[in-house]
Amino acid sequence: MTDRRRISGPSVGTAPPIFSSTIVGAEKAQLKRPVRTRKPSELRKIFLKTGVTPSASGSAYLELEFPSPSTPSSQKKTFLSPSSTLKLTCTIHGPKPLPRSSPYNPSLLLSTTIKFSPFATRYRRGYIRDTIERDLSAHLETALRGVIIGDRWPKCGVDVVVTVLEGEEDRWCGDELGGGSDGVGGVGGWGSMGVLAGAVTVASAALVDAGIDCVDLVTGGVAAVVGRSRSLGGKAQQGDDEDESFVVLDPSPPEHAEIGAACVVAYLAERDEITELWSKGDAGVPAEELVDQAVAAAKATRNVLVEAILETAKLKFPDAVLSTGKSGGDIDMTG
Amino acid sequence: MPPTSSQLLLSPAELSYLHSSLSLTPPIRPDGRTTTQFRPLVAESGIIPSANGSARVCFSDGTEAIAGVKAEVEKSQWRPGSTEQSLQVDEDGGDDEAGQAGTQGTGENSWISMSIEVPGFRDDDALPVFLSAMLTEALLADGKLKDRLWINRRFHWKLYIDILLLSAPLSYPLPLLSLTTHLALLSARLPKLKSEGDEDPLFDDDWEASTYLYPRDTKGACLDRPPITLLVIAVGPNFVFDPSKEELAVAEAVIALSAGTSDASTLNKNLRLLSIRTIDPPSRLTPLGIPDALSSAATGSAPLPPDEQLAAREGTDEHGVWNPPRGGMKRAVLAQIIKAVIEPGGVAQEVMDGLMHVEV
Repeated sequence: MTDRRRISGPSVGTAPPIFSSTIVGAEKAQLKRPVRTRKPSELRKIFLKTGVTPSASGSAYLELEFPSPSTPSSQKKTFLSPSSTLKLTCTIHGPKPLPRSSPYNPSLLLSTTIKFSPFATRYRRGYIRDTIERDLSAHLETALRGVIIGDRWPKCGVDVVVTVLEGEEDRWCGDELGGGSDGVGGVGGWGSMGVLAGAVTVASAALVDAGIDCVDLVTGGVAAVVGRSRSLGGKAQQGDDEDESFVVLDPSPPEHAEIGAACVVAYLAERDEITELWSKGDAGVPAEELVDQAVAAAKATRNVLVEAILETAKLKFPDAVLSTGKSGGDIDMTG
Repeated sequence: MPPTSSQLLLSPAELSYLHSSLSLTPPIRPDGRTTTQFRPLVAESGIIPSANGSARVCFSDGTEAIAGVKAEVEKSQWRPGSTEQSLQVDEDGGDDEAGQAGTQGTGENSWISMSIEVPGFRDDDALPVFLSAMLTEALLADGKLKDRLWINRRFHWKLYIDILLLSAPLSYPLPLLSLTTHLALLSARLPKLKSEGDEDPLFDDDWEASTYLYPRDTKGACLDRPPITLLVIAVGPNFVFDPSKEELAVAEAVIALSAGTSDASTLNKNLRLLSIRTIDPPSRLTPLGIPDALSSAATGSAPLPPDEQLAAREGTDEHGVWNPPRGGMKRAVLAQIIKAVIEPGGVAQEVMDGLMHVEV
């Protein structure tokens, strides 16, 4: 639905600033690319907190660690942030009764929205949801529908709203100058996969905060097949790593010149099931292996989620926690 | 997310019957097909004279789609830091051979635009958006199509793929739209380029001289093929290809897989998985069955209050009483499905070979 009361931004989008320091040459500019300092199987640190929005029935906030800059800020020639991070907030409204005019629904009517704030990425997003946001919302709905026990709320609806305050970039700003695949406009690029995984985790935390019955805690994980950075051309890189693509967990797209394939899963660790799987790209490795790696990332994220929920549970129900001790994944407890 | 008309009004008893027959080994499908068998279809291509490529596919359940591929010349965006640009500076003093050497540039994802028109849906509804995202990412994932749209450094083709679903979306229309797109792209031809280098492009007006978007050898066999997207449902330990609407209504998981040819010359041997997506199964919204022991109509006792009935219902796992599926898909089933799709002689291979027989 187009909002006629709002003045929307230009439909064509605005060009990001191009700095002369980045045009010195594709080869030289590659040296400024942020470098992944983590191990391939290591995730960025996650900050997760539930109950941040008092007016919502459930809410959560997720933030990924911002990688430390490789060059000190005094030597930086550009103020474009080279790397990107993720800041998501999720609010849940409901379960609330559906209006009388709506037809009978035997289970909980779930509506999910993922919205990028206009300033979330390098390219400005309008207030009206674009195709990427709609697509991500559909993915999130699939991920959550499988965990929510919907038949306990007939004739009810719940709104899950994830706002992306800072989104992962699809690629490094230096690559924008060199053309190549354009992540903007078409289908979501690699950055949106990280956003989806974060959205699944943060929505799961908010569901617990709202006290909605779920079969398990669902967490999101990403894995990607990355290649060596092509334009370094055998600089001071390790020679054995060249021509080889390998799987990394929780990729930050600006750090990799080439991403061959990526996979997001929403994973239920207790049941060993996948409610949402989104994989794209022509992977050199078998698809099953990529899925397994993404599941490993989701498993690691689950630890953070459980800790965050326990922390809130201790605040909300000090007596219950003392008597039962640590009952890890019991999510009905916080309801 | 699934089209509302695909939610059949089946009773819990009917759903339970369908589910248990699909969970048998081997599964028994309502229409008697094997697990990998597709419904018969009618297909023709090259039906729209004003489009570069077109196709029409009609499934036996009455769903029908038309796809048209149109190509327009568009000015490329100048990229100050592109590697081609620096090449140009290096080779500026050279003769025409330098231009000949760099005849192939890299394409951009935004050069392919897809729109899907589904009757009864707005173009910003979840279903058309999801379908077009799924089909586009499969097309882009093989990375070769967009490079073929490159004309020279200043111009490129912009490919518009417009799909029109003519019937109401009875079952999930993804396989239908994918097969139609596949045929339309196979038949798509681009006029032959007459100009050279970075001139404004000038094309041969002889349509006979045009080249196929997906190149063919002298005998007319395809060297490369567009990807196809298949829909698979999982029921218990089984999986079933090309589900009908009754089967979708009891599916525990629905996944769409796109497979395409590999870039190696061994065309028919290796298919590669280009994308996977799970789709929200409509079965989660079905009404749950009430066992006789809890039904006030069967026992004659006063009905329990709603919360007690819910609690009593929760523990039961009676055979023949429908429970909407909860949770997701087992990883073992997923691995089996992937294998069945892309193995040599697998389902994707079979479908592609079948579509090759459609006359252009």
